[in-house]
Amino acid sequence: MLKYIGKRLVQSIFTLFVIITIVFSLLRLMPEEGYLGAAAEKMTEAQQEIYLTNLGLRDPLIVQLGNFYQGLFQGDLGKSITYRTDVPVVDIIQDKMMYSILFGLGAVALSLLVGVPLGILMAQFKGRWLDRLGTGYIVFVVAVPAMVYFLMIQMYVTGWFGWPMLFDEYNPISFILPLISMALGPIASYAMWMRRYMVDELNKDYIKLARAKGVKERTIMFRHVLRNAFIPMAQYLPATILFTITGSIYIESLYSIPGMGGLLVDAIQRQDNQVVQGLVIFFSSLGIIGLILGDLLMAIVDPRIKLGKGDSVR
Amino acid sequence: MESTLSIQNLVIKFKLRGQTLTAIRDISLDLYKGESLAIVGESGSGKSVLVKSIMGLLDKNGYIDSGKILYNGHDLAKFKTEKDWLKIRGKQIAMVTQDPMTSLNPLKTVGKQIEESVVLHQNLKGKEAYEKTLQLLRDVGIHEVERRYKQYPHEFSGGMRQRIVIAIAVACNPDVLICDEPTTALDVTIQAQILQLLTNLQQKYGLSTIYITHDLGVVAKVADRIAVMYAGDIIEVGKTDEVFFNAKHPYTWALISSLPQLGEKGEELYSIKGTPPNLFKEIKGDAFAPRNQYALKIDFVERPPFFKVSDTHFARTWLLDLKAPKVEPPKVLQAFFEEGRRYANE
Repeated sequence: MLKYIGKRLVQSIFTLFVIITIVFSLLRLMPEEGYLGAAAEKMTEAQQEIYLTNLGLRDPLIVQLGNFYQGLFQGDLGKSITYRTDVPVVDIIQDKMMYSILFGLGAVALSLLVGVPLGILMAQFKGRWLDRLGTGYIVFVVAVPAMVYFLMIQMYVTGWFGWPMLFDEYNPISFILPLISMALGPIASYAMWMRRYMVDELNKDYIKLARAKGVKERTIMFRHVLRNAFIPMAQYLPATILFTITGSIYIESLYSIPGMGGLLVDAIQRQDNQVVQGLVIFFSSLGIIGLILGDLLMAIVDPRIKLGKGDSVR
Repeated sequence: MESTLSIQNLVIKFKLRGQTLTAIRDISLDLYKGESLAIVGESGSGKSVLVKSIMGLLDKNGYIDSGKILYNGHDLAKFKTEKDWLKIRGKQIAMVTQDPMTSLNPLKTVGKQIEESVVLHQNLKGKEAYEKTLQLLRDVGIHEVERRYKQYPHEFSGGMRQRIVIAIAVACNPDVLICDEPTTALDVTIQAQILQLLTNLQQKYGLSTIYITHDLGVVAKVADRIAVMYAGDIIEVGKTDEVFFNAKHPYTWALISSLPQLGEKGEELYSIKGTPPNLFKEIKGDAFAPRNQYALKIDFVERPPFFKVSDTHFARTWLLDLKAPKVEPPKVLQAFFEEGRRYANE
């Protein structure tokens, strides 16, 4: 197991290295105005040239890359140019991340707590009214553009209860609606997958044998079906949780939450190359960590996956 | 002989896409104490449906239309709730399922899966249940039981898994053991071992067994009695020797004729022409009549009753009626019958 984790880590670090190098190189192709920021118009061409040389952008690419990695190992992703001038990219991400993590984790927890049991119940009462109701909900959430019900919730529900329209850090009530809105989609998908995997498992032979040996239906559900149905979900769960950090652009802008949601778009629009670069690296690292954790979680819940012994996966 | 389980005039129907299908048509069958009874018949003849109904495991769209399943003074056909069935399932009647590769929960150790039965049906807990489980593993011929207990199904071969499935069934301490094609998924050498194991356990625990199979080779090895099913009806029933070597129903003849052992080298194996009847339609007369070269006029009109061949041997064919013309079974079979009878007498 440890050997496997080690191997995966080395692989991931290599992948990450490739990604970072590519991102770095690609951003060198961006217009250089991005590095000058608002000062660009006031500078003569000679001044611009000096400025860029000072930033190290006139060095050979390989030297730039080397400098960049040196910074990276010290936790330095460079300084923002136009987004928040001269503030380290790491600080920008850190400030915004807190809000996104808060809402993201809350929403994931809520959707797991509601979505998974809903899926289980739907599978248990397949074809009955509860199942139909759930299916109706899933179809609604998936088919109607999220913006529509996000807006409805903000407009009407705030009115009914007299809750604040916008997010306010010091008012706990203002957390509720963004959280619920964010959870609606994931609830639907968790319920849908859970139901599907449960139904799949319920039709398997080992369930028939369990029935034949006289195990109660309820016990079968919880002791035999549930864990088996959970396996396909386990692989993606860590990635889903990690990616909540990236925030929801809709909801954060609707409720004015100062989260990560719009950050990348903003940075691109303002040609803030440093922030874009920092964010892309950050997101790709999250993705890779999510994959590793997913594989590990799978290995923990499914004994058929013996990691390390010749790395045979199923 | 005393019967453990008695099926009387059982009719089972299925609702399918707005139509009703009759899967079991008025079957009566007894299972005697300590015997092993084989139910044979082709796919779709209703063998599995019949035993599933005994355990209340019919699919949701299937139901018992009429008839009785008498067991220990209960009529199982009247059972409706899960609570009723839990008194029977496992406790009294246990089952060995067909495909050992998929019959075990992949995420639980085999030990735990057997122990689940032990705890449910033998009122044992903790250390006692564990010891009993090890004992059962030994009983079904598994070595190094302590180590095996902790292993998962994927660490076992097909034959070993079938042993586990058997251990689970026996762990229930049942009276009746139903083996639903217990060896179909196994290769021939393992088949023989599993059948031997089942026979041993039957004697050790005094079980009455029902084998469902379409493999006549299996039947010959294990069964005391045979019931031949066709299109949801039992058309011939008798002691193994009687059905094998003195078959009376043309369908039984056809079934035996299609044994590869009876085929001649270089010639095509015998197969029954035509297809089984559509069970959505009402079947008139003998269901086999349209495929039967010996069919009489009355076969298309009226269902034949059971004609008595001996005290233990009955067949549903009008050919046994006194007014029927005398019909001899096919030549190949006659030779086979004679050889068999001579062998049986020795």
